[in-house]
Amino acid sequence: MIPGKYRSVSGRAASNVNCGLHLVIQTSSLPEKNKVEFKLNKETPSFPGRLLQHDLERNYSSRQGDHINLVSSSMPSFPILQRSSEEKILYSDRLTLERQKLTVCPIIDGEEHLRLLNFQHNFITRIQNISNLQRLIFLDLYDNQIEEISGLSTLRSLRVLLLGKNRIKKISNLENLKSLDVLDLHGNQITKIENVNHLCDLRVLNLARNLLSHVDNLNGLDSLTELNLRHNQITFVRDVDNLPCLQRLFLSFNNISTFESVCCLADSTSLSDITFDGNPIAQESWYKHTILQNMMQLRQLDMKRITEEERRMASVVAKKEEEKKRESHKQSLLKEKKRLIINNVARKWDLQQHRITNIATNQDGKDSDSQDHCQNDGSTISAFPEETGSLDSGLTSALQGLSVTDTHLVEVDGDTLSLYGSGALECLDRNWSVQTAGMVTTVSFTFIEFDEIVQVLPKLKIKFPNSLHLKFKETNLVMLQQFNALAELRRVDQLTVDPQGNPVVNFTLWKYYVLFRLSHFNMQKINGTEVTQNDMIMAERLFGILAHVASSELPQYHLISILGDARKKQFRYLLETKGKKPGIVNEENNDSKRLVGESTNRATLNYTTRDFYNEKLEEIKEKKKFCKMYIEDLVKEATEINMKNEALQKLWPQMFIELVRDAVMEIRNKNSYMKLCLQQITDQK
Amino acid sequence: MLSPERLALPDYEYLAQRHVLTYMEDAVCQLLENKEDISQYGIARFFTEYFNSVCQGTHILFREFSFIQATPHNRASFLRAFWRCFRTVGKNGDLLTMREYHCLLQLLCPDFPLELTQKAARIVLMDDAMDCLMSFSDFLFAFQIQFYYSEFLESVAAIYQDLLSGKNPNTVIVPTSSSGQHRQRPTLGEASMLEGVEASLFYQCLENLCDRHKYSCPPPALVKEVLSNVQRLTFYGFLVALSKHHGINQALGALPDKGDLMHDPALDEELERLLAQIPGLVNSVTAGPEASCLPARTPPRVGSPWRPLHHARKVDAESDGSTEETDESET
Repeated sequence: MIPGKYRSVSGRAASNVNCGLHLVIQTSSLPEKNKVEFKLNKETPSFPGRLLQHDLERNYSSRQGDHINLVSSSMPSFPILQRSSEEKILYSDRLTLERQKLTVCPIIDGEEHLRLLNFQHNFITRIQNISNLQRLIFLDLYDNQIEEISGLSTLRSLRVLLLGKNRIKKISNLENLKSLDVLDLHGNQITKIENVNHLCDLRVLNLARNLLSHVDNLNGLDSLTELNLRHNQITFVRDVDNLPCLQRLFLSFNNISTFESVCCLADSTSLSDITFDGNPIAQESWYKHTILQNMMQLRQLDMKRITEEERRMASVVAKKEEEKKRESHKQSLLKEKKRLIINNVARKWDLQQHRITNIATNQDGKDSDSQDHCQNDGSTISAFPEETGSLDSGLTSALQGLSVTDTHLVEVDGDTLSLYGSGALECLDRNWSVQTAGMVTTVSFTFIEFDEIVQVLPKLKIKFPNSLHLKFKETNLVMLQQFNALAELRRVDQLTVDPQGNPVVNFTLWKYYVLFRLSHFNMQKINGTEVTQNDMIMAERLFGILAHVASSELPQYHLISILGDARKKQFRYLLETKGKKPGIVNEENNDSKRLVGESTNRATLNYTTRDFYNEKLEEIKEKKKFCKMYIEDLVKEATEINMKNEALQKLWPQMFIELVRDAVMEIRNKNSYMKLCLQQITDQK
Repeated sequence: MLSPERLALPDYEYLAQRHVLTYMEDAVCQLLENKEDISQYGIARFFTEYFNSVCQGTHILFREFSFIQATPHNRASFLRAFWRCFRTVGKNGDLLTMREYHCLLQLLCPDFPLELTQKAARIVLMDDAMDCLMSFSDFLFAFQIQFYYSEFLESVAAIYQDLLSGKNPNTVIVPTSSSGQHRQRPTLGEASMLEGVEASLFYQCLENLCDRHKYSCPPPALVKEVLSNVQRLTFYGFLVALSKHHGINQALGALPDKGDLMHDPALDEELERLLAQIPGLVNSVTAGPEASCLPARTPPRVGSPWRPLHHARKVDAESDGSTEETDESET
């Protein structure tokens, strides 16, 4: 006799002689409730314990005829299962009903000692009629059509419950199965983990291929060693650290994308084996080392042993990432700070330019007055930079030195020096390390009056000798003449004048004027566009005559005085800087010589800031007054002399006549005249 | 020398009329300002150069506005200088805004006031749309009238306003004038309906103005010519007519006729020479864009006639530099 377990069963529900099982179809009303089920069961075991095969046959044959009205009946019926006694003796504790095309659980008669029950690969929709098998330890209902866990409440000894590949939507009705060791619910439609908290002996829980979206509510599973959650839609995992024995956790093919969503795993000391493959997180560049770094207790990841080398790499990388994160955090803080300050500076600038009215300050309406007022306010707010030594320490790889106060901002970023606010110009007085200063090729001025920039250009020339690109934004460039001031620099390759805040850009000719005046620089780019030969020609064509007139037609003394002025001004600025090294003085000389040597015909085109110009005019007033007085005196003298001359002219004829008359009268009498003369001669002696 | 009219004026007034004192004062002032530089130069040479430059009209370059405005000769020289320097801009055909012209003016005179340029622009644009672009010749001639005759124009404006509002200044100032019968139209409303003022009446007022004016004013005959062509005219219409009048331009003598405005052979030659000196330029002016668009970095250009001056300056620079050096080492 071949045990039915190992034979495939042929289709008919009628008796099957081969496997020694007899299915007796007995019509009975379909029990809607368990209660009815019990009633039925009670009916059948009233038979004495063992039924002989021939008895079975007798029964069958007799009953078959009696109760075959199954077909015509509208109600389905429970088959009653009976085994041959041989079978029962051989396999008293196990019963296999695999692939029997069962649609319902049959009533199992007289098998109270059953320990293993196999209903695999059937079409059972409800778990029923097994409440009497109270010794059951192993129940396999894999691959059926069960929609709800039920009918298990009497199986207190159950240890293995296999309900995979069914249609179960909810974990429930497991309250009495306290000895459960293995619970397999894979391949169902479960959306939530619940009602398992009392299973303190559960060692293996398989919830793969379900519809779980998250993992929690796992407390109480104190013996759980393996938790299979593959092929779900899990996005986050919680409560795993409450599982003291969990060793293996399979999370493959879910929807986990960040480590934060599974961070509780880090706190689980028992975990040694985990899989994440098939999750979005596994595609990330930081996946492996983040997991390794945070879960030092792991031995296998994604079914591969973790080597020491990997661990080491992971910690190194993690450290680097940490640093990078810290660094970028710092950077973003700095950036935010910078932004705030620039906003502050911008607002002050707008105030100065009277673009926005400030009720607080006195609206005098005159430019110079309010400007001074605002500037005074600015200087009293705070004078000291917050980070002083940051300049030389800025030689780190980031190379971002930042000096910040409320009213201005100085920033060195690799090759660019950015100055915001007029207070920033003072930074040129500071000691810059040679390396930092040498790297700066671009200097950007924002929210600073151009006239103020002009005054520090000599300092700029000295401190940042490699600065080749100048950028101006919101610097109040209004006249072409102001560009003359840039001529004193050593060299400018590129010039960028932002239209914002610089009305000069609206002029048609400004670029040509710049090219003309600064032709000795051989500039390559203005506002981003390359300078072409045609541009240079046009510039010369437009303004060449101006240069010619300015140099050759000026009277010599004027030429000398203008050049002298320029030189004096330069020296004056330089004298004001402190901490000059002797080497620089030679540079000054060279520069001044070169100033004269190069393109003299433009050298007379200078720019004096308005303030200096007015100052100069003021100084001249005294002289003018003196000159006026002096000339007046001269004129008075001259007019007096002229008057006298004219008077003489008028009187002369008369005087002449009188002279002649006197002389004639004297000589009328020759004798007396002779006497008179002799007398005069003797008198003289 | 002994002409009677010369003797008619007292000395001071005579000098003032010829503005001799202005130049004398300015010369001495310049001397004082730059006495260190000029003392090596020689004072006699200085005065020679100064008055030569006054004659040539180059004395006003880069001088302050108060000086440029001081005498009619200065003003005319300034106009001429402006024309010569920026004729190329006009020749290029660029139309510029009032602000840009003002900028160009400032290149020659740093503190030139904006109001004058604005007034000149108003003449060109007929007091409308001040941001419009203007051609070089339009602006230049309008500017000439405005700048040279600025005081006269102010008085004319006042007269015009009076006439417009119905008052006739003539009746007040010249009691026995024949224009007494030409009393202005009674109502203001009527006058404003007709644009401007009557030309003949206007002319009579101007004539009186010219007679008693201390400042320079256009030759009355030419003004009459301008006013005889029209029945009525507005203030700006009058100014535009003045600016476009050839006779007045010639009477001023600063600028050539409109047709010849762009011609200046001598300076054009000079310009060609300068263009030829641009480093990297192979052909003359008509060089097209080359493969490498930027000229090589050649040493500074040659050909300046001021070589001796350079040497002189170099010496100065060196000597001054050395004193600077010693100063530095002391501190």
